[in-house]
Amino acid sequence: MIKKLLIAVLLMAPVFFAGADNVRFIMSAPNVVSAGEQFRLSFTLNESGSDLQLPDLSNFEVLMGPSTTQSSSIQIINGKTTQELSFSYIFILRAKEEGTFTIQPASVKAGGKVYQSNELKIQVVKGQVPQQGSSSTQQQQSESQGSLSSEITKDELFVRTELDKHSVYKGEQVIATVKIYVSPTVPITGFEDVKLPSFEGFWTQDIEIPGQINFTREVHDGKIYQVGTLKKTLLFPQQTGKIRIDPFEITTTIRQQIKRQRSFFDDFFDNYRTVSARITSDPVTVTVRDLPAAPGGFYGGVGNMSFSAKPDKLETRSNEAVSFRISITGSGNLRLIEAPKVDFPADFEAYDPKEADNFNVTASGMSGTKTFEYLFIPRYAGDFSIPPVTFASFNPSTGQYAVQSSPEYKIHVEKGDDSQNTTVTSAYSKEDVKYIGKDIRYIKQNEYKLRNKAALFFGSSFYWMINLGSLFIFLLVAVIYRKKLRENANLQLVRTKKANKVARKRLREASHFMKQNKAEEFYESVLRAYWGYLSDKLNIPVADLNREKASDTLIKRGVEQDVIADFVSLLDTCEFARYAPSAAGGTPVELYGKAVALMGKLEKQIR
Amino acid sequence: MKTLIPIIFFLLTAVSVYPQDSLLTEANQQYTDGKYEQAIDLYQRILKGNMESAEVYYNLGNAFYKTGKFTSAIISYERARLLAPNDDDIQFNLEIANQHVVDAIKPLPKLFFIRWWQSLTNKFPADGWAKISVVSFILALILAGFFFFSASSGLKRTSFWAGILILSVAVFSYNFAARQEKRMTEHRFAIITQPSVTVKSSPSEGGTNLFLIHEGLKVEILENLGTWNNIRLADGNQGWLPDSSMEKI
Repeated sequence: MIKKLLIAVLLMAPVFFAGADNVRFIMSAPNVVSAGEQFRLSFTLNESGSDLQLPDLSNFEVLMGPSTTQSSSIQIINGKTTQELSFSYIFILRAKEEGTFTIQPASVKAGGKVYQSNELKIQVVKGQVPQQGSSSTQQQQSESQGSLSSEITKDELFVRTELDKHSVYKGEQVIATVKIYVSPTVPITGFEDVKLPSFEGFWTQDIEIPGQINFTREVHDGKIYQVGTLKKTLLFPQQTGKIRIDPFEITTTIRQQIKRQRSFFDDFFDNYRTVSARITSDPVTVTVRDLPAAPGGFYGGVGNMSFSAKPDKLETRSNEAVSFRISITGSGNLRLIEAPKVDFPADFEAYDPKEADNFNVTASGMSGTKTFEYLFIPRYAGDFSIPPVTFASFNPSTGQYAVQSSPEYKIHVEKGDDSQNTTVTSAYSKEDVKYIGKDIRYIKQNEYKLRNKAALFFGSSFYWMINLGSLFIFLLVAVIYRKKLRENANLQLVRTKKANKVARKRLREASHFMKQNKAEEFYESVLRAYWGYLSDKLNIPVADLNREKASDTLIKRGVEQDVIADFVSLLDTCEFARYAPSAAGGTPVELYGKAVALMGKLEKQIR
Repeated sequence: MKTLIPIIFFLLTAVSVYPQDSLLTEANQQYTDGKYEQAIDLYQRILKGNMESAEVYYNLGNAFYKTGKFTSAIISYERARLLAPNDDDIQFNLEIANQHVVDAIKPLPKLFFIRWWQSLTNKFPADGWAKISVVSFILALILAGFFFFSASSGLKRTSFWAGILILSVAVFSYNFAARQEKRMTEHRFAIITQPSVTVKSSPSEGGTNLFLIHEGLKVEILENLGTWNNIRLADGNQGWLPDSSMEKI
């Protein structure tokens, strides 16, 4: 904080200081006067001058002047001395007729140079009827009522809410100015009990105005008023349609002279009393239009804005924080802009953005910068990209959206120092799969067959044809097979029945050989008789028969064990005798007897 | 007998190629390019050509879903599910599309064996069961042949029991095929297409308002009376709705 030390020295003596660098020569006068009214026209110079050349003042009567005054001030701030001089020339003028008159610049010589003043425009309106007489009578009439507020008409004292625009887009700023209009004849001493409108349907932002109300002269409906600005507010409509702004109410205090002729003393002392007058402005309406359909990336910004987005670094290490900064600069409803959505890679740990505002609220509206800072921490190494961020703002002057987007940023994340990662204790920590979005599954692309609608295989004639056809084929096959089987069965029966006969015939043949003493043929025919018999009887082809198979089959057919043993020994004897007749165990006669007996047993036992 | 089986299999699997196949490839391409409206148009042209398949309905449903027409998507998915009752993708997408339906209906609980029976029925579409029934019937006949004409008693016994089993498979699969066919041809279910409709107590506009249901809900049609349908929700509530407020699956 700068410590201020102010010493002001007023000197009436002329002080000449070299180095008064900026020479200012200003002409000033009220901008509105009434015809016949006296007013001051003053020229101010911040250096001593000479040879003042007046402009043409033929439209006014110069009643007096010039009277000159000088003032000078010296300021020492932190050891720095500044001096200000001021020379004024004052004229008293009177306006002759109504109209708007321009006073051309005046010129003055200072320091060997000629300086020109500014130009002035003075509006002269019809002279106001002096109300002194009538108001005093009114005063007397209303004295008994105790209040004088009724005397002050709406023409003399009123409040107005002025809007710079009456038809706006939703979110577009409107400047509402509350002004008080006071007729010069009404002496106002102060304000109290100000009731501000609620500004329902708006988001509001007050504009700083000087604490002291500066009254300026203005013409309203052909009359001169002292006009003071009570309040300036920025309004941002938050809903559409016609929005009514409630009246502004203020209570003013007015000093009025009381003239009573009751006592002697009363006449000596001017009796004044303060009365309060409550005045109310008329309600105003604003028509708010809705914004057109918003494009993607619209976050509520209405106004003239520019946008930029940038991460603070493009190369980082895992588990190190990076900030991504989005700043929106311009004018409009900056305060109401929501944080733009940034699609950080899913592996980043992203936090909610931090907002920072830097706004200027001036009479022209709100401007400044809004900054969103997104903090994110890449947890894994790799190359990631932050997709472009789009920001759309609605420009009410063009009636269109302005869309801006940031470039895509590639971020390279190196593997950071894992030892710093204190939160992860296990080196083999597992993570659930993050489900980022939900969507339907993709269409079926592979080859597939289209078929006729309502052409069902089930219940079709083809279906029944297959079923019945297969049944028919089955029956056909069954019938044919059965028939053939029966034929086969008959053949078998015949062969079994004949088997004994054939065998006995062969045995008889063998006995014939025995009588002829042909040993070899005898044994052979015995064997043939047996094999043939078994083949027929057991339904086994002769070629497939051997000793084991025959004895196995005989067991199965219920032949006793010793009969089979007899059979086997008979076969052995015969085969042995065939190749070595001399060594044969018994005579052919004995063998023959055995063979016949065995045949009888087999015939009985084979089932 | 043995040469017959390959012939039957050949007949069952024989399918002809249609010109709609090129249309299908084009439609899939449009979908891949993100032109969902065009894809919808092409899929619908295929279906207008009296051709269908579960996949076409499924893809059409996907295209509808992508354009935000969830009710149409649900109808398409349900139609796809009729043709391919056991398809996982169709089931998944139908569930997602159903999340856009406003009404939360708690279905009535079913006994476990009914649930099993239904899920068994839904294992194959009508034609799948029909094929199974034909094949198993033929197999049963072959086994009957073995049973009647085999000399060996072991073979006889095996073929007898196997034959009984296969024959029952044939009978059941015939039954399932008949059920599935009924589901497909009777159109017993419908999807509500109007954003919100009031279910009436009787088949007339003057009926008492019973309850309010919204777009995308699946209802069962119990009977028809003129243009009115007696509908039942999954939670068992019944009422009457006009034809115009729903689309049959």
